[in-house]
Amino acid sequence: MSYITIDKTKCKSCYLCADVCPKALIKKDGDTGKTGQATVRFEDKNNECLACAQCAMVCPDLAIVSVIKE
Amino acid sequence: MQTSEIKYTVPKSIKKDTVFTFCPGCDHGVALRLVAEVLDELNLREKSVAIASSGCSVLLYDFLDVDCIESPHGRACAVATGVKRAHKANGSDKFVFTYQGDGDFASIGLGESLHSALRGENITAICINNTNYGMTGGQMGPTSAMGQITTTSPTGRNKEYHGFPIKTAEHIALCDGVSYSARVALYDIKNIINAKKTIKKAFEYQLEGLGFSFIEILSSCPTNWKLSPSEAHKKIENELTKTYPIKVFKDIKETPNV
Amino acid sequence: MSEKELLKGNIAIARSALAAGCSCYFGYPITPQTEIGEFLSYEMPKRKLAYVCAESEIGAINMALGASATGAKVMVSSSSCAVSLMQEALSYIASDELPVVLVNVMRAGPGQGHIYPSQGDYNQAVIGGGNGDYKTIVLAPSSVQECVDMTFRAFYLSQKYRNPVILLLDGMLGQMAEPAIIKDNPYPETDNSSWVLNGANQRPAREIRSLEPNQNKLIRHIYEMNKKYKALEANETDWEEYQTQDADFILTAFGTMARSAKAVCNYYREKGIKCGLFRPKTLYPFPFERLRELTKTTKKFIDIEMNMGQMLRDVRLSILSNVQISFIGKPVGDWLSESEMIGAIDNIIKDCYANI
Repeated sequence: MSYITIDKTKCKSCYLCADVCPKALIKKDGDTGKTGQATVRFEDKNNECLACAQCAMVCPDLAIVSVIKE
Repeated sequence: MQTSEIKYTVPKSIKKDTVFTFCPGCDHGVALRLVAEVLDELNLREKSVAIASSGCSVLLYDFLDVDCIESPHGRACAVATGVKRAHKANGSDKFVFTYQGDGDFASIGLGESLHSALRGENITAICINNTNYGMTGGQMGPTSAMGQITTTSPTGRNKEYHGFPIKTAEHIALCDGVSYSARVALYDIKNIINAKKTIKKAFEYQLEGLGFSFIEILSSCPTNWKLSPSEAHKKIENELTKTYPIKVFKDIKETPNV
Repeated sequence: MSEKELLKGNIAIARSALAAGCSCYFGYPITPQTEIGEFLSYEMPKRKLAYVCAESEIGAINMALGASATGAKVMVSSSSCAVSLMQEALSYIASDELPVVLVNVMRAGPGQGHIYPSQGDYNQAVIGGGNGDYKTIVLAPSSVQECVDMTFRAFYLSQKYRNPVILLLDGMLGQMAEPAIIKDNPYPETDNSSWVLNGANQRPAREIRSLEPNQNKLIRHIYEMNKKYKALEANETDWEEYQTQDADFILTAFGTMARSAKAVCNYYREKGIKCGLFRPKTLYPFPFERLRELTKTTKKFIDIEMNMGQMLRDVRLSILSNVQISFIGKPVGDWLSESEMIGAIDNIIKDCYANI
């Protein structure tokens, strides 16, 4: 079960990670971040995450702190 | 038993607990992370001196965990020349690179940049080209594309009033002292991977002592372009790459006699 | 070494810089200081030292900024209108607390002026041509021997106080040859291992910056710099006095003008008129205190400069209000000869001395 860890305190709600995820596992969250917009959360009920790390690669704010493949 | 593999983690050359102060969606964050990843991969953190310059790029020293010095606006390549040469005179070789904006590298600092390239200073210059003066709120820069609307070209850049933009990587490639000159972009995964490879190559050329290596990184400035981060990336892909093609303009190993 | 030689001011500075351990020179040609760069372009590559013919004075001073951050002893030389181009970086260098030696062999201004010698850059050097609250140490030699001695001292003070030092002389002294001795560097080396940029190896990364978004930190930084300036003023102020003890009137002059002024002093002494000379050797820090002391015994001061009265401002600031201050000056070129000075001084003092 691969997964990513998001540091919401660093998220500035640009949603580039959500756009790029091939499995659409990153979604807007209820919490608002420093910009006043919804931050993102990782939701992978069916273990679809490929650990491709594309989300981490496009994130301009180091908010995706790790991508783990298991 | 399950084995886990770390596919990504924050690079070591980024200072602990760094929070970038850039606007949401700004490509500076990606560019800096790529630089840090390459520093890690080439084990350069301990032997590097980075040069920051004025503009959004100045806060380099808050983010990168390497020795940094700030230069006056535009003079980063001159400062880098001093750092590199002084260490050499002292019998030590340090890895020296600049991280500048397009206004810094190609407008106010064009003289210092071009002459460092011509002298073949064995340094690497990274120029973030976001086609405007970002920190002051999006004024027209030397790289603003024809027709681009900025706060000082409210009806769009036109040749009668404003003249033409500078194509930095093409110009730098013409200098004999240059080992490598390329333009990359960060608007999608493919380009980000390519950008990292290019940065790595430019760094390696310095390590091999081949002379001035240069990367122009075509970057988004969503706040001043008044676009969402993903719209800004589309603008780069569909519009700006026509003015600024993604290309290697000089590679001394491929075409040594350019 | 250590033999008396016939030396030109510019060459004396270049050779002393090498003897002081200067490992980096960056320059751009401008008369009347070009010999410094020419001489070093020959000597430095032989010793594998850093020498760059920069694309401009802006390039040169910024290379110096970078080089000095590595702990190297760095020199830049230029003249007047081109030193103006360096003021931005000089302000950064002062704020970054970097040791750079800048030689200004002054020519005439304003603007391009011409290559005639002048002392017209006193204000720029002493008060500062860059922005912000900073000070540059300014040394003013008046002979080729002092060019030698003060070059050594400039490197020492710049390293000791981590501050830019300007060696300020006029084109006449730069171009003039007279006997001088270049001895070994008389000053100790300064330990700079705590701040130089040489790669963050087994220590935290260092940053040298002038930008400070945190207002309180910026205020603290300026206070710290100011503490350094107070220490400079207390410890490094230097001047020469000549027959001031019993003087009825005292001439004040710096650099080459002080040489003619000394001859004028002798002239009056031979006539039985008590003339003295006060010559600041450091223009910043300026010897305010000593000059003020002298006003207790002497009530007439005559300031002589090769400009329209720039050091005059500092002389006035030193002196108590019940003292008369006069000024004799010529802006450029055919500097004041002894006879011109005597003519002008006679006019000023004629009420006191019936026999003039």
